[in-house]
Amino acid sequence: MKGYYLGELEELVLLTVGVLFPEAYGVSVMDEIDKQVGRSLNISAVHSVLTRLEDKGFLKSKMSDPTEERGGRRKRIFLITASGKRAIEEVNEIRNQLYNQIPKVALQFKLA
Amino acid sequence: MNVKPPRWANKFLQWYCRPELLEEIQGDAYELFERTSKENPRKAKRQFVWNVVRFFRLKNIRKPKSSLTNNTITTAMLHNIFKVAIRHFFRQPAHSLLNVVGLTVSFVAAFLIFLWIMYERSYDQFHEQPDQIYKVLSHVEANGDLTTYDVADSHLDVSSIPEVAKKAIVINGTRWPNELCFRPEGKSTECIYISGIYTEESFHSIFNYPIISGDPNPLGNPNNLAISEKTATLLYGTENPIGKIVKIDDHFEVTIASVFKDVPSNSTIQFDFLLPLDVFKKIRGLSDELFYSNFLPVFLKTNSEIRGDLLTQKLNESPVLTERAKADKISYTAYPLTEWRLKSKFENGKNAGGRIEYVKLFLVIAVLLISMAIINFVNLSTARASTRSKEIGIRKTTGAFRSGIIVQFISESFLVVVFAFILAIGVTHLTLPLFSSLIGESLNVSLFSGWVPLMLFAFLFLVSLAAGLYPAIIMSGYEPAKVLKGELSTRNLGAQRMRKVLLVAQLSASIGIIIFSGILFQQLSFITHKNLGIDRENILRIEPTYKLLKQYDAFKNELLKHPQIKSVTASNANPLNLSGRTTGVKWQGMPENSSATFQILGCNYELPETFGLKLLEGRLFTPQTLDTINTEVIVSEEAVKLMGFKEPIGSMFSIGDANCVIIGVVNDFHTESLRNEKLPVVFYMHPILNCSSLFVKYEQGATKQSFEIIQSVYNKLEPAFTMKYSFQDEVFDTMYKTEITASRMVMLFTVISIVIAIMGIVGLATYNVIKRKKEIGIKRVFGASIPNIFLMLSKEFVLIIVLSTLLAMPFTWYSASQWLSGFIYRIDMPWWIFVSTFAVICILTILIICIQGFNTVKTNPTKTLRSE
Repeated sequence: MKGYYLGELEELVLLTVGVLFPEAYGVSVMDEIDKQVGRSLNISAVHSVLTRLEDKGFLKSKMSDPTEERGGRRKRIFLITASGKRAIEEVNEIRNQLYNQIPKVALQFKLA
Repeated sequence: MNVKPPRWANKFLQWYCRPELLEEIQGDAYELFERTSKENPRKAKRQFVWNVVRFFRLKNIRKPKSSLTNNTITTAMLHNIFKVAIRHFFRQPAHSLLNVVGLTVSFVAAFLIFLWIMYERSYDQFHEQPDQIYKVLSHVEANGDLTTYDVADSHLDVSSIPEVAKKAIVINGTRWPNELCFRPEGKSTECIYISGIYTEESFHSIFNYPIISGDPNPLGNPNNLAISEKTATLLYGTENPIGKIVKIDDHFEVTIASVFKDVPSNSTIQFDFLLPLDVFKKIRGLSDELFYSNFLPVFLKTNSEIRGDLLTQKLNESPVLTERAKADKISYTAYPLTEWRLKSKFENGKNAGGRIEYVKLFLVIAVLLISMAIINFVNLSTARASTRSKEIGIRKTTGAFRSGIIVQFISESFLVVVFAFILAIGVTHLTLPLFSSLIGESLNVSLFSGWVPLMLFAFLFLVSLAAGLYPAIIMSGYEPAKVLKGELSTRNLGAQRMRKVLLVAQLSASIGIIIFSGILFQQLSFITHKNLGIDRENILRIEPTYKLLKQYDAFKNELLKHPQIKSVTASNANPLNLSGRTTGVKWQGMPENSSATFQILGCNYELPETFGLKLLEGRLFTPQTLDTINTEVIVSEEAVKLMGFKEPIGSMFSIGDANCVIIGVVNDFHTESLRNEKLPVVFYMHPILNCSSLFVKYEQGATKQSFEIIQSVYNKLEPAFTMKYSFQDEVFDTMYKTEITASRMVMLFTVISIVIAIMGIVGLATYNVIKRKKEIGIKRVFGASIPNIFLMLSKEFVLIIVLSTLLAMPFTWYSASQWLSGFIYRIDMPWWIFVSTFAVICILTILIICIQGFNTVKTNPTKTLRSE
């Protein structure tokens, strides 16, 4: 667990990158998070999370082919790495494990 | 796609962004921009700028080109720089010393000024919440003009203003009853005069004058007295003074209830004893009603931060401002106590500065001195650069970067500045007491307290940067190939021009200071030598006791037996500095709804004779009054003019309820400091027992004998009290204490500025001569005489001085006329000072050049021309 520490926003971005495969780059990740989660982030925030995840080795990136859209500039496309995949799985696993341990009674709000 | 993102933002992004990240970041920003701009181009632009700003993060910012800073500055290099600097310093000791001394002197001057300003600003800041203490000032309207007094109706009822927490009447003054005779234990004929104040219980809850021992609330009991630590030691030595009984004026008994800490010198209220108001009423024999009809100094403390103008507004509303005050055309101002020290001058109800003018003046002088010294430093360093050009060339060819050389020169100047700085701190520390005594104040401030060291470091940093940066940039810019061939060193025109510009700036500053101080001295000597219309030489003023007043005739007769004593008189105020203004004078034919300010002086016989006033018409007072119904008065010429009497003798007017008849007219004289206008004066016969001053005029040159005579007569008639006296010319001097202090400081700093300017000229002149050695040699060979050569050397300096004078003139003229306008009686702008300053500086410079150049010029030209 220790090796795979993920912040909440990091986890969100990592998952979104997976969702968007193979078209995940700054703007698309920002849009997707806005669409699916309803959180509007600044593009610079998305960038810094993406580079942080890359530094941790959860993402890898390559430059795309230039398109006309951005004045001929290339995009940096992000892909999940093997250790990124493991990180998501582990986080998910721990989540579920903990969720399943909650006694049923604790979740029965209708009676209360 | 017409709409483009803002260019500057894009440029900024390209400038800061790391090149490897630029493409994607810029791409994303563009993509978002294009998307939004379809809907709302303006919003898109805003968004783009915002994104660019948000991308400005440490991670995205490109690293500075590290090749220079990282690789070239090593400890070894610093070591080398340090070694070279030290060697260089000692290679030309005279030159280096000139630099260090110039900087040190200006630093010391600046530090002293800084400390003085700090001291002036610290006045009354030691109270708790000093900003919530106010002094009530009253303005009285007379003839459309407002005259301001630092007193208010003692009845002032502020209970209707919720913001005012406390109010206290504080009676201060310099004479009896604020100055009382205290007798040391067991010595009933000896007198120690101690000054203090009368006030009420709330005093200690407004001000912070801590009580050390005894009753913490000494003013609660009307028979209590509190004395300062100093006074306690003076009167009782090491004994405990608490509980001792003191007879005020040998009559009213009070008990010493407490001892308070000595009042700090930076307090505007100064006192060594504290007495309740009841004692004041008792010794003055005033009923409550009579007491409260007086205008007295009133202080307020607010319980919250209320703006001064709001408080003022409330003071001028009913019921605080009574109907009577309104009828008397009185208005109040709540004036912050902390402002009082520096801004106590009022003109027509508005603040017109005060000491703050001097604070500003000296601040300017400090800045000028520092910049002069820095300019000197810069000039000398760049001038000297030619001697180091080879070194720079070698350094560069062996691989030094420009930045490395900049670092070298900046650290060299930094070393010199630090050296001067440390010296200056030491010297300041040593000269502070001397400076204090010169300006007559006890500066209880230090360079090592509070925020000061921090500020000093900032100062050090700024100065060394200012002094080092320019020479470093100039010198590091030499091209090694040219320098090593010996081409560039003498032809660095840019640096030469800059040097001249700096010299002009520096000389302007020093000429400005010299001219300004010249004008200041002219005005001060004008004041001290102006014919006031009233004598102040050879007059001794004595503060009489009640017992002496009762024996006034005997005193006078006894004195007049001696030939040295010319005349004796008495009055209720000092004619040199009258304070008894009144607006209550009415006369027939006086314009409706107007009032005029008069000075009233109650006196005894022979006052005009004693003070050398000339009787122009009528007669003086006689023992038998001829007019038994009206009060006989003598008036000054100005009063006659003002009231418009054709035949003044026998004319009538009234002061309040008293009808007066004029029996004599004397010449006009100044009744106050020359800052103020002279006012018409009315003299009337005052009962001798109510007089507060005796004046004895003695023969010129017989001061010592006369004084002994007066002393012995006094002691015979009043053995129980030590004589209190002052010489009238000293009284006069104290009226101009601020001006005299300022003039002393100005004198000091003028000398310093001259010294710095001379150092600058000496340095440059020396350099100039050395640089032109060959030229001089060639000219001499071709037959130029020595005077010719001096003329050539002086020419450019004279031009510089002309320019500096022209530059300095308008500023100096403006500031000097501003300062002069503070005096009602002042000199015309003395243009000759401008001219003579110019002439003196010129002559001085030429002299310096001649002395400096003499050796070089005298050298046989064959010698200078042969050496290579």
